Amino acid sequence: MTVKVEKIEGGMPHSTIMIAGLIAAVVLLYLTYANVLVGTEYFAFFGGLATVAALVWGSDTIKMLCSYGIGTGVPSAGMIAFGSGVIAMLFATKYGIAAPIVAVVLAAVIGAIIGYLANNVVNMRIPVMIQSLVEMAIIGAVVLMGYAAMMTGSFELTSLTTGNVSILGLSLPSYQASFLGGALIAAVFMLGAIAIQHPFNACLGPSWTQDRMLMLAAECGFLSMIVAAVMSMALISMSAALISLFVAVIGWYYTYTKYIELAHRDAAAWLDTKPIPELVEGQ
Amino acid sequence: MTAVAAKPAAGAAVDMPAMIIGIIILLVIIAATYFIVGPGLAFMALIGVIVGGILIGFGVHFVPVGGAPAAMGQAPGIATGVAMLAAGAGLAGLFGGAWAAQTTDNLLVIVITGAIGGGLMMAITCMFVTFIYVYGMGIPNASGKVAKDPITGDTQTEFKSQGTEGHGLPFVSYVGGVIGGLFGGAGGTLIYLMLLDVYKDELPAMMNALPAQILPIAISLAGIFAIGMFLVNAVLAAYNITGTIEGPHDPKFKRFPRAIVACATASALCGMVAIMIVAV
Repeated sequence: MTVKVEKIEGGMPHSTIMIAGLIAAVVLLYLTYANVLVGTEYFAFFGGLATVAALVWGSDTIKMLCSYGIGTGVPSAGMIAFGSGVIAMLFATKYGIAAPIVAVVLAAVIGAIIGYLANNVVNMRIPVMIQSLVEMAIIGAVVLMGYAAMMTGSFELTSLTTGNVSILGLSLPSYQASFLGGALIAAVFMLGAIAIQHPFNACLGPSWTQDRMLMLAAECGFLSMIVAAVMSMALISMSAALISLFVAVIGWYYTYTKYIELAHRDAAAWLDTKPIPELVEGQ
Repeated sequence: MTAVAAKPAAGAAVDMPAMIIGIIILLVIIAATYFIVGPGLAFMALIGVIVGGILIGFGVHFVPVGGAPAAMGQAPGIATGVAMLAAGAGLAGLFGGAWAAQTTDNLLVIVITGAIGGGLMMAITCMFVTFIYVYGMGIPNASGKVAKDPITGDTQTEFKSQGTEGHGLPFVSYVGGVIGGLFGGAGGTLIYLMLLDVYKDELPAMMNALPAQILPIAISLAGIFAIGMFLVNAVLAAYNITGTIEGPHDPKFKRFPRAIVACATASALCGMVAIMIVAV
């Protein structure tokens, strides 16, 4: 049994964030299915919003787990989340419209077994270990599925593996120009894994406040979404990718200014260092 | 804060009932896979994935992980966490193995190439870490856990600063790092290779395409699963050593049986799901 080393008081209770994050992420993932129903790609940006919702939830889960001092550093929690999540997510894409639900259930099972191994076999004895790793695996799977839906317009295996190349005006199917075949999944794996572990790693300490950390999580999520939106230009129509990019930039700007405000609020003192000092004449 | 002030109290004790439950889960997963896919390439791939996971979990115990205390010169080892170190060595090994897999079909050659990739990465990392410790931070290399270096026989205590657990990177830790890189690279490459064989075999029929067309997807799927399983195994092993270890001479090294059970079970679970993508 390890000792809690960080205060956890203040802010919203974790269960509220968990339920809100899970429902928001799954509902937003399903909103991308409107692409299939209407026959466009313009709803792809909902996948990116699903990743932001899941990442906000994930940063609070990491806070809950890492406040016990797991000794391996905060990034390791993000890595195990996505390592177990990617497996559940790719398996779930086989199930068509049920994919988000299957991903959540399968990730919960994988997370529970890995949590049991970490807590009992490896003898970590952290009270929230199993629950945290279940949540982390679900978050990993949902975030990766959100990026997949955002970059391809769908979360089904066939559209993740098949892309289109146009040669001389002819559109030909190609496996190389796809989310999986082009290994874009490796890039979004790291985009998500870094975005999930950074907020708590940056905000931990005696002056930790929950709203500031969650705002930073949303900011990291939108920042990753900008990169994913740029990458999605290769896979979906340019106008749909630009909508994603527009939403991501707006979201990033809003959360960034909010985060800076909250950082001002929590800081003891604030010294604005100018980016490059200007050369003064005559010195 | 989390790394320094909070040394977790997870002891060296082995929880026997939990170990047995872990082994039972492992056997159930192996049996379930056998019943679903039958004796064949896919089942052998699962065994290969489990062996690869065990190699990764065992290899992490050799790597001198120092964490934040090492960065401040208060503990020996490389000044970063296991997830970063293992990912560096394992991915370097994976690149080496994947490169070799393009040119030959010999399993042994590919796995050894992957091992050399991981070992080389760790050797280079350890060398530059030592340069920075000695010439940048001005600290000698001294182990805090043993009085004499088990390999060179050099005494350690007179070089150790008071109030620290040792500092720098003693020779035995360097050797341990390279051995850990070899194991990690070999394990990661083995997982990649096993999954690649299954996907190359099954994907053309499943997606109704030519083997050459399917190759990018098979490589990408096997690669991302190998990375995912590598990270899961490395973090489980990191939890086992509670973050920091000096190398093979550290008393924490004796905890490795727990990590082997945990890594074998976790790899079996992830491997089964990864194989089910094409086999069901």
